[in-house]
Amino acid sequence: MATRVVTVDRNLKAGIWPLVLGHWETFKNLVRTLFLRRAATIEFPEKRRNVSGRYRGIHVLTAREDGTPKCVACFMCATVCPAECIHIESGERPEKTIEKYPTRFEIDLLRCVYCGFCVDACPEEAILMSRENDLVGTTREELIIDRDRLMARAKLVEVGLGYHPDEHDVRRPVRVAAIERFKQEHGVGRASARPELDRKP
Amino acid sequence: MPKCTIDGRELEVVAGTTIIRAAHQIGIEVPHFCWHPDLSVDGNCRMCVVEIEKQAKLQISCNTAVTDGMVVHTDTQRVRDARRSTLEFLLVNHPIDCPVCDQAGECYLQNQYQAYTLHDARTGLDDKVHKRKVVDLGPILLDAERCVLCSRCLRFESEVVGTSTLLFAKRGNHTEIATFQGRPISHNYAGNLADVCPVGALLSHDFRFKMRVWFLSSTPSICPGCSTGCNIYVDHRDGEIYRLRPRRNPDVNKSWLCDPGRATYKTVAAAERVTRARARDGADWRALPLPEALGSLATHVSKAGRQLALLGTPQATNEDLFALRVLADATGGLLDFRVGDPQLRVREREDAILLRADKNPNTQGALDLGIGRSGIDEIVAACRAGQVQALLLQGPELLRAPAAGDLAETVPFIAVMATHDEPALDRAHLVLPAVAWAEADGTVTNYQRRVQRLTRAVPPPGDARSRWELVSELLRRMGATWAANSAREIFVEVARAVPEYAGLHYGALGESGLSASPAEAHGGPPFPQE
Repeated sequence: MATRVVTVDRNLKAGIWPLVLGHWETFKNLVRTLFLRRAATIEFPEKRRNVSGRYRGIHVLTAREDGTPKCVACFMCATVCPAECIHIESGERPEKTIEKYPTRFEIDLLRCVYCGFCVDACPEEAILMSRENDLVGTTREELIIDRDRLMARAKLVEVGLGYHPDEHDVRRPVRVAAIERFKQEHGVGRASARPELDRKP
Repeated sequence: MPKCTIDGRELEVVAGTTIIRAAHQIGIEVPHFCWHPDLSVDGNCRMCVVEIEKQAKLQISCNTAVTDGMVVHTDTQRVRDARRSTLEFLLVNHPIDCPVCDQAGECYLQNQYQAYTLHDARTGLDDKVHKRKVVDLGPILLDAERCVLCSRCLRFESEVVGTSTLLFAKRGNHTEIATFQGRPISHNYAGNLADVCPVGALLSHDFRFKMRVWFLSSTPSICPGCSTGCNIYVDHRDGEIYRLRPRRNPDVNKSWLCDPGRATYKTVAAAERVTRARARDGADWRALPLPEALGSLATHVSKAGRQLALLGTPQATNEDLFALRVLADATGGLLDFRVGDPQLRVREREDAILLRADKNPNTQGALDLGIGRSGIDEIVAACRAGQVQALLLQGPELLRAPAAGDLAETVPFIAVMATHDEPALDRAHLVLPAVAWAEADGTVTNYQRRVQRLTRAVPPPGDARSRWELVSELLRRMGATWAANSAREIFVEVARAVPEYAGLHYGALGESGLSASPAEAHGGPPFPQE
């Protein structure tokens, strides 16, 4: 790759002009802020920046209708987590169709890299991400958030839902890619004799 | 011996060998559900089909013997199609609840679905036949929906245990395995049902929901439960053991492991482990740093001179016992290990499968090393007569014996290496923390005189050290020249010292161990054969 060479003349005297330009910019902002009420900054924390709907903020655990966690403690998120920040312990649910639920579910927000892989890996849409990015605590322990804090997210209404599988479902494309790879490697297709059923969502 | 060609590779096998075993010999895995190396052939799953030249139909490789000149293909398009259809058929009523199934990660269905089909289900969840889930069969949980009806568990029950507790109930689509009136499984080998089950239909109660299997690391080791010395895998994560699994060794335990053996892992992380050295201070105990405790031990042992008695334990490895023997030779002290006469029961069977009456893993090794030298009664008598100034125990067996109650009064110094706290330890003056079986490297010799390796799976708690390390450190403090840095090093000396172990070394033992050469070859007493 060709390199662009910039020659800097260290002896050049800039003169007063850049100084005037800078002050002009400051003066413009002063007028905007003071008289036109158009500030370049926001008044954090009273006001928040509006972040995208795919923003990967602090996690949320979703609940069933009866208030119990939707999570079945399959450990997919803990498996895929590159930061190893998810700690789960599982227990037995009385319903034989669900069987399993997390008795402990902790995320160490200080280790988390907010990659969103846990959301992608979840087969139950039990873990989502909010748009909340306000990570403040006085101790490290405070920022290891447990199941109850992950589920009781009244704030979610306020900050809004972030990265979640509905609008950006990556699992289907992953699955399709796996089948394509399988075809290429083995030269055979899927077993399904009725391909029209495969396209069922 | 018939010669055949499997996937282009020629091999010669013993007459009567089935194709699946022949393929296995050359490292070709044929997918299967119902075939198990240590059970009879049933041939019901149709997953192991292979193409044989000059035969019109595909044949099941588990029940077709190799004939001379046979040419077998295990991975043609025709075979793959057949396997795919079989798998789709097996999955028709499967609930596909892998996220909550403990078998996920070591499931034949999952692996073979990934390898052969990746098909989408043609049966909707509502069309599936629903069967009983989470049926409590004592140590085992049954989920009839996940079952592929391979009958491995039925064959295990009838062929290995002989109880025939499980059977097929109902017909057709509704077939499921069941016990009579839902009675629990009550024999000592229930854990193997979870192991033989290729899917998640039979799962262990003890391991249920503890950990997903892909997080676990497996270390090959030997079960410490009795003198049979079953080969096992220790499955652990982050220094914690989650379960023990049998490791196949056709000469010792085949593919099986008893339930008491499986439970031995629980003692390793028990709360009552001895983690620090402690010395008696009047009626109380005082915790000591390990170097100080060893210094105190060295002083007492040196002072005792020849008035020393050493007791090994058949719980210890050959290396531990050998180090103690070196100490005995160096000091001229009394030496034995036969508290409670384990040597009389070492080959005594408790049942017709695996369990043996001697609950020590290394009684035979202690005998081979000549640790049974002075006689227990003689040692106890010497203690009573005040002829023993220091008593060093590798395990608390003697302190547990009721006869040992007054030893503490006649012997001025008793030191014991212990893994677990127990009231008997109060009879000693110094307690040294020793490693448990899963935390040590070493060898043990089973009832067949097979020398097998233990491998360290998890780190020991606190100050705990191998018994040989403690003895080696003691010898160093007493000014002896003998020193060892690892169990491997000591085993070289063990092999030199015991004629039957001549030529053995860690590399040769490998994972499945080696039988020591029979004693007759060296002019020793004949070794009892079963």
